[in-house]
Amino acid sequence: MYEAGSWPIRLQQIIDEFSEVDDSMERIEMLFEYAQEIDELPMSEWCDDTKVHGCQSEAHVLPMQNDDGTFHLMGASDAKLVQGLMAITAIALEGLAPSEVAIFSSDYASEMGLMNALTPSRANGFRNMFRKVVLAAQEMGE
Amino acid sequence: MTFTPEQARRDIPILNRVLPNGRKLVYLDNAATTQKPHQVISAISNYYETTNSNVHRAVHTLASEATDAYEGARSKIAEWFGIGDGYLIFTAGTTEAINLAAYAWGRHNLVAGDVVVLTEMEHHSDIVPWQMLAQEREIEIRWVPLQVETSSLDMEVFAASMEGAKLVGCIHTSNVLGVRNPVEEVIRLAHSAGARVILDAAQAAPHDRLNIAESGADMVAVSAHKMCGPTGIGALMVNAETFAEMQPFIGGGDMIREVFLDYSTYQEGVHRFEAGTPKIAEAIGWGAAIDWLAQWDIAEIHSHTLGLARHTAAGLREIEGMRVFGDHGDGDGAVVSFIHDKLHSEDMAHMLDAHGIAVRTGHHCAQPLLRKLGLTSTNRVSFYLYNTMAEADFFLATVRDLVARFT
Repeated sequence: MYEAGSWPIRLQQIIDEFSEVDDSMERIEMLFEYAQEIDELPMSEWCDDTKVHGCQSEAHVLPMQNDDGTFHLMGASDAKLVQGLMAITAIALEGLAPSEVAIFSSDYASEMGLMNALTPSRANGFRNMFRKVVLAAQEMGE
Repeated sequence: MTFTPEQARRDIPILNRVLPNGRKLVYLDNAATTQKPHQVISAISNYYETTNSNVHRAVHTLASEATDAYEGARSKIAEWFGIGDGYLIFTAGTTEAINLAAYAWGRHNLVAGDVVVLTEMEHHSDIVPWQMLAQEREIEIRWVPLQVETSSLDMEVFAASMEGAKLVGCIHTSNVLGVRNPVEEVIRLAHSAGARVILDAAQAAPHDRLNIAESGADMVAVSAHKMCGPTGIGALMVNAETFAEMQPFIGGGDMIREVFLDYSTYQEGVHRFEAGTPKIAEAIGWGAAIDWLAQWDIAEIHSHTLGLARHTAAGLREIEGMRVFGDHGDGDGAVVSFIHDKLHSEDMAHMLDAHGIAVRTGHHCAQPLLRKLGLTSTNRVSFYLYNTMAEADFFLATVRDLVARFT
């Protein structure tokens, strides 16, 4: 099970990277940069099924499987900070078995110090996004 | 005393706050709530340190002093707004005041088929209570449209909507656009149709004495915390005719004359609408806020804050891709809503926060208005007396820098 202390290597690197930065503007810029790394879900594919509820911004995710059956996450948002968080989630989960994603902990966001920086509505949006991803992974495993 | 923002700032401890990121606070979210001078903070703590007691009932010294302080605050606040203290009902704020109007007046004066006229500019607190009543009573709600191009209400539709109207609800000054509505015309139209008027004056009260008796408004709702008073208290102020049509809403202690096992009788005055232990410290704090504001001419304060809003709106309009709302005419509030076409409002707010600048983001509890603008969210800066031109300029420079860097 992936949780605090045993994150996938790439996620641990990102957590360390954020932990080293105190300046809030610099952290925002880092999230903006990560936002570009996501496999972006084109706006034409945004629909009720992909929508993350509880966000002030428009946020959409499409959990899917690579050819080898491992997990892959597409996503997009009109707010770059949201898309940045999504991108880090996608990096964290990339290549894991859906059964591993299904029990993945969302604590990495607070470990990176990002939950404190989020408005309550955005923190709820993150939780809703993560729950949507985990539920999709559970269904893949069934 | 001649007004200067620097004088006001000296009294407000929180404005010296340094944020965890080392930035000095630049507080531009005054339409959400204002900061408190030490005179207000001291009035509240002094009350708890020296006078705390329940009001109205006991005969001991503290009770008598607390009652005098509480009722003295009511008189002071009522005088400020130009209404008799027998017509100022303390509530938890504007929202509760409008709900009180819906329950204490609406439930006893509106029946199936009656018409309530509201505007697309309303805050949710002047929409939802009437919707709830309308669903219960089959009351018709008519909507006066917002004209997006001019940020104004369509007064022709307003006039045409009056036929059969029993109540008109209108936001005095928009919390999103800053626009001051033509409330004199609204009151005139409503009264000629025989309708009562309730004004949501939450955003107007910080900038305008309102002169409620002179204005002719039947009901006016305000909040203390928007004018440097404490949170948790506001008022519904009503004229004598409307007061006579209201029935108690919340039952309990303090609002009764006599209670029997099978029925109760109620007090005659405002206390019949203030069941339970009232907001004593909060009322005293609000009175202190009025005293503090009364050092200056409110017109000078308004001129200063509107000047900041005009300067900010003009500066934002120079930035490519920026849409800025409202005209900031003479009577308008010091509120500037804006949105950049490439920077999401939440991203903008987080980045401004990283610079110590507090602004509001979202739908501002006015989703129908935002929908009319074709938006789900804007950023909003709003000024009050202690804000300075240097703060407005720092805000503008920061926005210009963020837009240049991230678009």
